[in-house]
Amino acid sequence: MMEMDSNWSKETLSEIDYKARNGKYRIRGCASPRKLPTFDDLMILPGQMTRMPIDTYREKCETRTVLGGRYATRPLIIETPVMIAGMSYGALSKEAKIALAKATQKVGTVISNGEGGILPEELENSYRQSVQILASRMGFSRRNLEVADMLEVLYGIGAKPGLSGHLMGEKISPEIAQIRQIPIGIDLHSHPRAGDSFGADDMVVKMQQLRELTNWETPIFCKIAAARVKEDVKIAVKLGFDGIILDGCQGGTGAAPVMAADHLGIPSMPALVQAVKAMEEMGVKEEMSLIISGGIKDGADLAKALAIGADAVAIGTGAMVAMGCRVCMNCQSGKCSFGIGTQDPDLRKKLNIEEAADKVANYIKAITEEAVLLAKAAGKTKLKNLEREDLRSVTLEACAMTGIPLMGSDLVIGEGFGFTANSGI
Amino acid sequence: MEYLDLENVKSEKVNPLIKEKLKQHKTITLQHVNSMHNICAGLSGECEVIIEDSTGLYTGSYMEGPRIVVKGNVGWYAGDDMMAGQLIIEKNTGCNVGAYICGGDIVIYGNTGSRVGYGMKGGNIVVAGSAGRWAAQMAMGGNLIVLGEMGSEIGESMYAGKIFTRDKNAAEKMGRNVFYDEITDEEASQLTALFETYGLEACASQFHVIRPALSGRHKYVLFQPELKPELAKKYLNRKG
Repeated sequence: MMEMDSNWSKETLSEIDYKARNGKYRIRGCASPRKLPTFDDLMILPGQMTRMPIDTYREKCETRTVLGGRYATRPLIIETPVMIAGMSYGALSKEAKIALAKATQKVGTVISNGEGGILPEELENSYRQSVQILASRMGFSRRNLEVADMLEVLYGIGAKPGLSGHLMGEKISPEIAQIRQIPIGIDLHSHPRAGDSFGADDMVVKMQQLRELTNWETPIFCKIAAARVKEDVKIAVKLGFDGIILDGCQGGTGAAPVMAADHLGIPSMPALVQAVKAMEEMGVKEEMSLIISGGIKDGADLAKALAIGADAVAIGTGAMVAMGCRVCMNCQSGKCSFGIGTQDPDLRKKLNIEEAADKVANYIKAITEEAVLLAKAAGKTKLKNLEREDLRSVTLEACAMTGIPLMGSDLVIGEGFGFTANSGI
Repeated sequence: MEYLDLENVKSEKVNPLIKEKLKQHKTITLQHVNSMHNICAGLSGECEVIIEDSTGLYTGSYMEGPRIVVKGNVGWYAGDDMMAGQLIIEKNTGCNVGAYICGGDIVIYGNTGSRVGYGMKGGNIVVAGSAGRWAAQMAMGGNLIVLGEMGSEIGESMYAGKIFTRDKNAAEKMGRNVFYDEITDEEASQLTALFETYGLEACASQFHVIRPALSGRHKYVLFQPELKPELAKKYLNRKG
């Protein structure tokens, strides 16, 4: 028997067995289990003699966050820079969606509806509602634009960039079919490209249309998967979006080909650095909002993301785990034992909405507090005042990827990120 | 008749001006539109807008209720996400007309480009001339009626909705996940009523219907690579 860490690991053998039996690739839920660079590869520098720490227990640190005020006259104001990422009603049960919406009410943040229309109960219970405009436009109409506090024109998601949505037939219940306007029980491979703009040139005109439809009030974001980040961000800036949601390849999903989840895109941390650099080059960093998602799990990730230059983070898997998900990666089957990623009426009963809402709200509060703790230690009275100078890289790779000096040295490899590059090894 | 001359009006000022004018007049005529984009996008209510020349992209998109008549040609994406009303185009259009339409009628008296009715979810799109390929691709409802010839891949991956055609070769030009069927009496009556409404001379009984195949499940891999070992044999011959 081969060693687990060899090229022929147990997982690799299992993958080959599956393909040999079925002649097709495998679909899987959640995010890639691959070990990729994360925000853990950075450390935060606390204030000592160079700057004064803020009292953890007695002094305030502002967490209120304003998003999307570049052109929109009614920017989104949320109490914590943590939003609930777009997860569809279909991938998630009705109970899970309601619980997430209720959680936003408890902490004062925003939830994104995800693909396939808005569940009315989600809209009723959410503190602020973000509405996605997807290539599929399932369950979408002008009515959705009218209720949105924030819009997301979706180009891709981190878990399967370049691919459209998947929802396996097991989850297309009569209710889901009705809201999505599709037949019951089919395997859904949704629309790959927007039928109403074939590229950036058209999108310039489309943006004018959306602005007129929303009376220039609602913030309009684009959601892009992390790929050619610098170039994509520059196009988004030119198109006149109010902000960007950047989804790194550690983002989860209800169903994705294993190959896509494991081998497409780039991780959130280096993607964020590239986005910030691009926005700074374009001179829009202060006016345009940037939200990072994909693998955000705790207050340290939040604090480091803000320090690099994000204005907020979006959480998906973390919120599901708070509700009870154990990341079994079998979401696509619709057999979630916790009543979260299922449409089975019996399994759905296992999720208590009120308890789940409390847990998600607690989790968001806790990670906000964690970030506040780190920010205060670094001498900040506002979370958004965290800056890249507060960071150091743990590894040479992180240093090279981010341009943030290697800890214990002034060494910067490659392109500096506000620091003078010094690769004199 | 009330006229609105747009010769020297900037694009972003056009729709507010139209709305202002419509507060006083139920019908207005736009002159010198000069193919500007987003004309009447999001326009609501019972009113009529006649456009004397051609328009650019997104004409009548998201509109809800009005009757818009374009005397000239129309650019891509006209009537996208349209909710209700009538969008009448007397000449030809670009591609992707009626994408995601939820309701209302789009009538094109000339020809239309590719992907007419992409992802449509309701309403009627009537094309008196011909339609390009990928018509009603991934439609989720509504009716696409084409009187002339159709391009290839008709109705590719439709989930719901119907395509009415009298193109004799339509059955050979269909996309995947659809089938060619006879028209029912009820459908023929609906078509006849539409033809009468819009003054089109066509006999509903000549039409066939392309419908989505709903009986089976897709395979995970919709478009598998076609591996043809028999074609590779020629390389063996060369070696020999």
